[in-house]
Amino acid sequence: MSEESKPRPDEAEVQLPEGCTLSRRRFIEGLGASAAVLAAGTVPVLASSLLADAAQASEAGEAGHTGDEVLDAIIEHDHQINYPGKPVYYADPAGDEKWAMVIDTKACIGCRRCVYACVKENNIGRESGFTYIQVLEMEPGKIELESAELHYDEAGRPDRWYMPTQCMQCAKPPCVYGCPVKATWKEPDGIVLIDYNKCISCRNCMINCPYGARHFNWVRPEVPAEELNPDVPYEEKAYVVEKCTFCVHRTRNGQTTACVEACPVGARTFGNLNDPDSEVAQLVKTRRVWRLKEDLSTDPMIWYVG
Amino acid sequence: MDVAEATIERPGVKRFIGIDWDFGALRTAGPRYWAFITVLLIFTLLGILGWIAFLTQGAAVMAQRDEFTWGLWFSNYMYYVGLSAGGLVVYASVHLFGAEQFRPLARLAVLQAGVLVMIALLGDITDLVRPWRMFWFVVTPNPTSIFVYTGSAAGAYMVLCFADLWVMITGKGGEKLAHRMTLIALPFAIYLHTTTAYVLALNKSRELWNTAVMVPIFLTSATASGVALLMIAAYIMQYFGVFKFKPSMFRSLSTFLSTVIIIDLFLLFVEIITVYWPTAAKLGHTERMSFFLTGSYAWMFLPVLVLGIGSFALLAGRKTRHLPVIQLSAAAMYVVAIFLKRYTLMSMGFATGTLGQYQAPYLPSLVEVLLWLGLLAFGLLFMTVGAKVLPMVEPEHGHGEMHGEAHASEHAEIVPAMVPETVPETVPETG
Repeated sequence: MSEESKPRPDEAEVQLPEGCTLSRRRFIEGLGASAAVLAAGTVPVLASSLLADAAQASEAGEAGHTGDEVLDAIIEHDHQINYPGKPVYYADPAGDEKWAMVIDTKACIGCRRCVYACVKENNIGRESGFTYIQVLEMEPGKIELESAELHYDEAGRPDRWYMPTQCMQCAKPPCVYGCPVKATWKEPDGIVLIDYNKCISCRNCMINCPYGARHFNWVRPEVPAEELNPDVPYEEKAYVVEKCTFCVHRTRNGQTTACVEACPVGARTFGNLNDPDSEVAQLVKTRRVWRLKEDLSTDPMIWYVG
Repeated sequence: MDVAEATIERPGVKRFIGIDWDFGALRTAGPRYWAFITVLLIFTLLGILGWIAFLTQGAAVMAQRDEFTWGLWFSNYMYYVGLSAGGLVVYASVHLFGAEQFRPLARLAVLQAGVLVMIALLGDITDLVRPWRMFWFVVTPNPTSIFVYTGSAAGAYMVLCFADLWVMITGKGGEKLAHRMTLIALPFAIYLHTTTAYVLALNKSRELWNTAVMVPIFLTSATASGVALLMIAAYIMQYFGVFKFKPSMFRSLSTFLSTVIIIDLFLLFVEIITVYWPTAAKLGHTERMSFFLTGSYAWMFLPVLVLGIGSFALLAGRKTRHLPVIQLSAAAMYVVAIFLKRYTLMSMGFATGTLGQYQAPYLPSLVEVLLWLGLLAFGLLFMTVGAKVLPMVEPEHGHGEMHGEAHASEHAEIVPAMVPETVPETVPETG
């Protein structure tokens, strides 16, 4: 005789309502099983995050306080996530550089010349409705995005300051972690790139990105033939996600980015963090720099100073 | 001899993969049935036209844009997956918890679960401009992308549901296999739903999504809406005389439903408190949430609260909760509430962009609506034909030997539809 068929004294006394056939024992068993499964489901995620934390903690412990050591830690961080895919087809292979940018918000006048130069340089569809660079008009006294104005009409207002944003080429890019098919990755020189022929257009990376830096081609990009840049992909960008590439086709050939070139006030500095004497490395080491949404631990490779 | 032949070879019955497909039932079906099928076919066709428009004219035919990265297809994905998982909870409780009163619903629940996940996945695929690139999912899946987990879970879950249905209908492997299938299917349903919640919750870029309470909210919303939908489906099948359930089963279902509804509302309340309490309030959260309580997004969120509290209140009334009209209205209200809740949850990620810029509420475009209705009609078509052709009614002595000893007297067996409905007695409350 099985144990279940013997009524337990307390069960026998309580009049169960009709339809309630659930014994306490079976309920608890079932509950236990469900809880175990739920717990088991979270193990891989938990394990990987704990491992990542441990790695981070040991690094933080090793990192010293002098400028060079801080830079070393950042560079090392930036190397961690690098899906070792084939090099991207539309640019030269990466060199030994670790690219970074510093933007001087005190100098920026919000003229959007960088925006227009970038659109021309990167074959961004003129009717696509997005630009890689978005300049925010900020209220004085705070770095508060909720009160920032993206669609301002008048630049250079003395009672406002301006903060250009674009892809931050994060050392820990949520978009790269989030892409389900590894269509986007970090190159060894720190640039986050996209394979336009692989992107499945699920747009999960745009959800993941905290900087609104990724843009989807809802229409085929339209660029006048005489303005087409032959060094940058064009046709294959239809219906996939694109974003700032630190002008990878220029910077890997010894040039600087189009936005740096276009800035009339020299607010942008682009360079190689691996070179301790480069201007960006000097700025990051010696000035009071900050990064946008630093609390999200994405470790952007664009610093602001101002 | 004659009798035996007549039962084995009914006209129109084809035996395939061990199942008696009763195609003869389609021939004898009434004009109302065919009118319904025709309507569904028309909507399915319109959906196909919408999809063709999307594939040929590009993504701009959708109302989604960079600011509203995902739209109706995603809120539907959450919704259908939830309805599916919820329905399965009922079926699984037969096996896991011995809740025998739900047994007559088992096949319907599993068919509903499979079909819902199918249209959820189809909604996902019809949102991709180049759906064939999906094969990268298999070739180079990214282990840090939650999309991989929810997508594969949904696919596997769909297969599992249909396999489970097959096991139930053919009776292969007996009660033992059915029990084991449930042991796999239920955790899978929870896993699928957890990963779907994580698609939202694991984003530090979206303030209102990035909360752990999203996972339990998804589980309770799923269970509540799934049970509610199942209840509606059961009432409809009873109305058409497909089969008749004991009032006690509906009473159990509605007790279960009201319990889950109140937990679901409680979790929402907990989240709102966390957003607004002065020691916890952050601008990024409060500003975004305010749009949903008092701002331009309130039209989608406030009904969630009103309908939710309303349906709980309906089911809480001790004197009236056994009435079919009360149970049906409460169930219908909550099914609608959860749809709006999914729409709200989707919008919460986009109402204010990641750069702090306000976005006006998103409304789907014509193509998106056509795709939505088309997929819904396709799913219903599947269900309607399935319920007619497949043996959805369990033979009375098919199962039940294993659980028989303890609960035999309380089995909610299918009684012939001819039996007049007895007014259920109210259960005397103890204490």
